[in-house]
Amino acid sequence: MAQEEATQAEPVVFGQPGLITSIGQSAGAAQARVVAIKAGVDATYSQRATIEELEGFATLIVVLGASSKGLGAAGVDVDGEIAWGIGLVEKARELGIHVIAMHIEGGARRGPSSDLVVKTFSPLADYLIVKGSEPDVEWTADEAADGNADGLFTTIAAENEIPIAYVQTTLGAVDVFIELFAVQPAEG
Amino acid sequence: MPLASIGVGLLVVFATIATACAATPTSHDIRPGYGVSEIRWLSDYLPALRDTPGDTPIYVMRGQEPGGAFLLLGGTHPNEIAGVMAAALFVERATVARGTVYVIPHANNSASRYNSGVFNRTSPQWFELTNDAGEVRRFHYGDRRTQPEDQEADPEVFVHEPSGLELEGAEARNLNRNHPGKADGTLTQQISYALFSLVEREQVGILVDMHESSLTGRLANTVVSHPRAIDIAAFAILDLEMEGLALKQEVSSEEFFGLSHREFGDRTNALAFLIESANPGQEASIENPDVVNDPEAPLCDRVYLQLRTIEAILANHALLEGSANAVEFIFPFASTELRGGDLGTFLR
Repeated sequence: MAQEEATQAEPVVFGQPGLITSIGQSAGAAQARVVAIKAGVDATYSQRATIEELEGFATLIVVLGASSKGLGAAGVDVDGEIAWGIGLVEKARELGIHVIAMHIEGGARRGPSSDLVVKTFSPLADYLIVKGSEPDVEWTADEAADGNADGLFTTIAAENEIPIAYVQTTLGAVDVFIELFAVQPAEG
Repeated sequence: MPLASIGVGLLVVFATIATACAATPTSHDIRPGYGVSEIRWLSDYLPALRDTPGDTPIYVMRGQEPGGAFLLLGGTHPNEIAGVMAAALFVERATVARGTVYVIPHANNSASRYNSGVFNRTSPQWFELTNDAGEVRRFHYGDRRTQPEDQEADPEVFVHEPSGLELEGAEARNLNRNHPGKADGTLTQQISYALFSLVEREQVGILVDMHESSLTGRLANTVVSHPRAIDIAAFAILDLEMEGLALKQEVSSEEFFGLSHREFGDRTNALAFLIESANPGQEASIENPDVVNDPEAPLCDRVYLQLRTIEAILANHALLEGSANAVEFIFPFASTELRGGDLGTFLR
């Protein structure tokens, strides 16, 4: 079950529809789409969304994780990816679109390139969803699946006063979505 | 007649027989079960492969109910034995309830004949499994690439056709760098071409190519899919995670050609997937690896991972693409029994 940290800021109401995209070009964004479908959240998936695609969306959901295959397919390196991502998030802010940042591929998506993406974009989010261990809560899933074993996301959330939800499985984020978007769960 | 002449004569006869044997497809101990409707040969899809080491049996398994067509490949790299044995177990014990499954346990049959030890010089040539009757069954632990004597000498640089991608010369013998192949090309290219011919002719809608990596490899326990299949892969992986099977997800790279998931996905209507389990036999740091009973990665668990992932892919394919093209299979045991089990006891 997702756990939520209280913050001093006003709780953000996340509207629909959402735009799901990847920063780092891992396949995590496709998994976030599954989460949205199962939660009954109206969301469009675009692996590497353009600024123009932001029009009409209420929430931008960025899924963080670097994949050398994905970056290669996009024809960019991680620096180029970060520059594009910053442009996207800044435009979202300009349009009044809230941002959820997700890291849901666990320990497999931690490493130098992924961490650069995480450290750049997590502080820019209105909400964080992480598949990883929460302080003082036993991690019962596979050790390799813990994306927060070093507490990186906990630190970022605390330093930037960002609400954070920890999940043990990717589909654990379904309950988080249901809560954040105030929807009825989808069938099946 | 002088003894020397008799000796030379015998040598000639022996050499002729040996050459003829080397030219024919390698045989394997696979015992088709009730689910097998028909046995074909890859040369049925490219006659030039007949009587070559590249020919290999195709086990056709038709379901009671109509549905889609599914191609299951093991042995693209015959040293990656979980794929070979998952396919073998499928042929021996599975029945198809819906659709048609084409199973090829030794996709690169030339490579199955001998292990050059490319990843680990101490990995075996054979491995053994004991069935319930106490019979010891032996299986080849093959190689990553076509045997060098089965096709022309490696070029200095292998140029993938038609992309022009350049790779080291030995990759001319790597089936998973030669797709889509050529009808009049090298043996490896011809194997690939025949597989594509099968996919087209039988209107295969789903293809899974089973592989293994080293224990510490980047792709260990990963599902790679063509971009068209990314949703099915995502749904499948998240379902499996809820059962405690942790798999990573990757998508075909657009800059790397010749791989099954990329090329079948681009050039055919099939939704293409590749599954990688983790094989201690491919870990260079392990001396004399136990490819069957390694405590960290026993073969039975690796076979379970392959088959359970295939089940999840097919189930989510039916969910997302509709039941008309669904493929369903069953084993006479729960697939979860394989986890922590003794693979030999599940074989015939």
